[in-house]
Amino acid sequence: MLTNSKPTNPIGYIVGGGLREALRARLTVSADEVQEGSFVTIYSGNWTFYGLVTNVQLGATDPRFADEQTEQRFPTAIAQSLLGQTLYTNVEILPVLMLERGPELGTEAYRQWREEIDRGMRPEPRILPVKTVPTHHAKVNLASAGDIAEIFGNPEDEMNFVIGYTREAGHAVCINLDRFIQRSAGIFGATGTGKSFLTRLLLAGLIQRNRASVLVFDMHNEYGFDDIASDSGLSVKGLRSGFPARVRVVGLGRGSTIRGQSPDFHMEIAMKDIRPADIELLGGVLNLRETTPTTLEALVNSFGVENWFREFRAMRNGAMIENEEGKRIPAEDSVAAWATRSGVHPLAAEGLHSKLSILFHRDYIVEQPAADSVSEIVCMLEQGQHVILSFGKYEQDVDYLFVSNLLTRRIREAWEKRTDAYRTTKTNEPRPLVIVLEEAHKLLNRELASQTTFSTIARELRKYYVTLLIVDQRPSQIYDEVMSQLGTRISGWLGDEDDIRAVLAGLAGRETLRGMLSHLQPKEEVLLLGWGVPLPIPLRSRRYDDRFWQELSRGKVTATSAKQALQELGFGEAE
Amino acid sequence: MGEIQIGRLLSANSREFLVGCHVSQANLPELGALTRVDLENGLAVYGIIMDISIAEDGFVRQLATVEPIDEAIVRDHRLNRNVPLEIRVLSVGYRSEKQICHLLPPQPPLGLDRLVLCSPSEVVEFTSSGRFGYLRHLLQEPSPLMVEVLAAHLQRAHWAHAQANQADWSQRAVQEIITWLRDDYPTLIRVLHCLADARLFNR
Repeated sequence: MLTNSKPTNPIGYIVGGGLREALRARLTVSADEVQEGSFVTIYSGNWTFYGLVTNVQLGATDPRFADEQTEQRFPTAIAQSLLGQTLYTNVEILPVLMLERGPELGTEAYRQWREEIDRGMRPEPRILPVKTVPTHHAKVNLASAGDIAEIFGNPEDEMNFVIGYTREAGHAVCINLDRFIQRSAGIFGATGTGKSFLTRLLLAGLIQRNRASVLVFDMHNEYGFDDIASDSGLSVKGLRSGFPARVRVVGLGRGSTIRGQSPDFHMEIAMKDIRPADIELLGGVLNLRETTPTTLEALVNSFGVENWFREFRAMRNGAMIENEEGKRIPAEDSVAAWATRSGVHPLAAEGLHSKLSILFHRDYIVEQPAADSVSEIVCMLEQGQHVILSFGKYEQDVDYLFVSNLLTRRIREAWEKRTDAYRTTKTNEPRPLVIVLEEAHKLLNRELASQTTFSTIARELRKYYVTLLIVDQRPSQIYDEVMSQLGTRISGWLGDEDDIRAVLAGLAGRETLRGMLSHLQPKEEVLLLGWGVPLPIPLRSRRYDDRFWQELSRGKVTATSAKQALQELGFGEAE
Repeated sequence: MGEIQIGRLLSANSREFLVGCHVSQANLPELGALTRVDLENGLAVYGIIMDISIAEDGFVRQLATVEPIDEAIVRDHRLNRNVPLEIRVLSVGYRSEKQICHLLPPQPPLGLDRLVLCSPSEVVEFTSSGRFGYLRHLLQEPSPLMVEVLAAHLQRAHWAHAQANQADWSQRAVQEIITWLRDDYPTLIRVLHCLADARLFNR
């Protein structure tokens, strides 16, 4: 445990507050040196408190001092003294964590304290949720690189990945990738706030550090191959280009191309794999009627769970023949004839057939796929490969919902089987899998959440080694129960009150974090929060550019920042 | 250089004392000046001149209506008058065994003790001691003259400190005054206006 980060110059001192409301500190530096969201440390007795600036407020000992422009009435020296003493800036600090650092280093008291720890007479200091408050006039400092490393992890450690930098001092902030994949996570932000870049960044980290296999449902074909940024026009490296040996791009449908490039292989779905639940899930996008479940059940009863789709597809909708009496009746192979035979209302069956015609004509749904694509994908993921499923020309919601749910169900079944086997035999532990889901609200909204495999995965945490990485611009549309299960949440700027509320749901101090979220700089800043991070913190997000790839290939952040962090921690010689 | 005697003590209490003296240009005391009374027990009581008043002696009333008045009569009236010029001095500290303390003296001076004007070096020594605690007595003074006396005192002390190459003293003094008075807006503004008029700092 690192307990002696070198303090930076104080920016103020505590003047009030408590655990329920924020702490208040009087600034001794100019207000523009501190921003909302600044990560600060407070040194009080044997403890260091860690908190976040949530508000910056101007004050005056008497409002008349603020009202009057005294600098015009008095000589400069008097006016400056007056302003310095009667006008002030207070900051509100949300205390989050505390760490016992013991008596002053080098003193006899410290030696005794350390000895008691070494003898096991007192516990090794560790970072705790805040349970008390610092004393009046305790010094407040901006967190140093050492403090950041102490809380968020050392950028040099294998499991840590630099996600961004503190806004004032530019200290590297890491997320612990092992912790990140322990629970489902979410990346949120309004359109154009850089969600895709952030997702690429994180996925590159996961792939490079080899902490989990990744399956991306790439609805808009942007993760696999190189792309052009819509705003800057600059080339954006795809994950397949960055990790050619580890990432496989799968195209949906035979002969599909992704931005003019051929995927590593094509994926087709066998008709026998389609279950009624896969169709019911499309109720919203296909405007299916309430009679759909009954009709589907009758189809399964008539043809079996593996053949119903093929048989239903083969039926002719509205086909009529003349019987011996010259009367027009439904043809033997018509939908209506089957419905009549099966006790289903013919109009309901015909209506369903008509609405499913969009799937009947999808060329990625075939009776006999050239290969068992799903098994291949599972196999690749198990072997430590990463798969990006690009939807190619099939960018409609119906394709996205249908394919992603069906595939995820199959993959989860495979992982469940392997997990159960592992628990029995204690060999071949399944490899963690992260499924990346864009436009997640389409699959995880209140109506659909209970029907999809995704909500099950979100609830199970890491029970079956599968977690989700949800990428969405409307978190308020995602079912609360799913949102509440998300461990790490990374959010860009959000303007909608409901979306902000959804991202902060279940977190302590959400009222104070609300303003922070709405004040983020689009494309440049994100708020890192949730169970997976020690404390919420706004960051200047790391750029997804050539430099990032160079650093990633070297396996480190930046030599200077890491070295600096170690120096801040008291290791190594200062230059 | 010998000490300049101002006068002798007429009456005293723990907070202030009254001194009587001749009207003469040579030793005419000034408002805000730092003074000292040496007690027999070795204690030296410091005070700031708060007010100077010249009471009429009965004779001056008759002279005032006579024109022209002979210069010799005017001089005689000023030098030989029976009623002395009265100086009110506010106790602001004391020295005991070379230790300067900005508290009220443990005992007031006695009648006919001598009041002397402090030299510039003594002003620097007394006002540099501690953290301007002696100004507290002045700022607590309810007299409407307080603001003017404070400005006059700082002006004189500023000059003394400037001679001793301690030009930042007045800046620190002003900061201390602001700290004490920042919750009393009207008084602080009045004080600052006076200090601005005292021209301690450039505009």
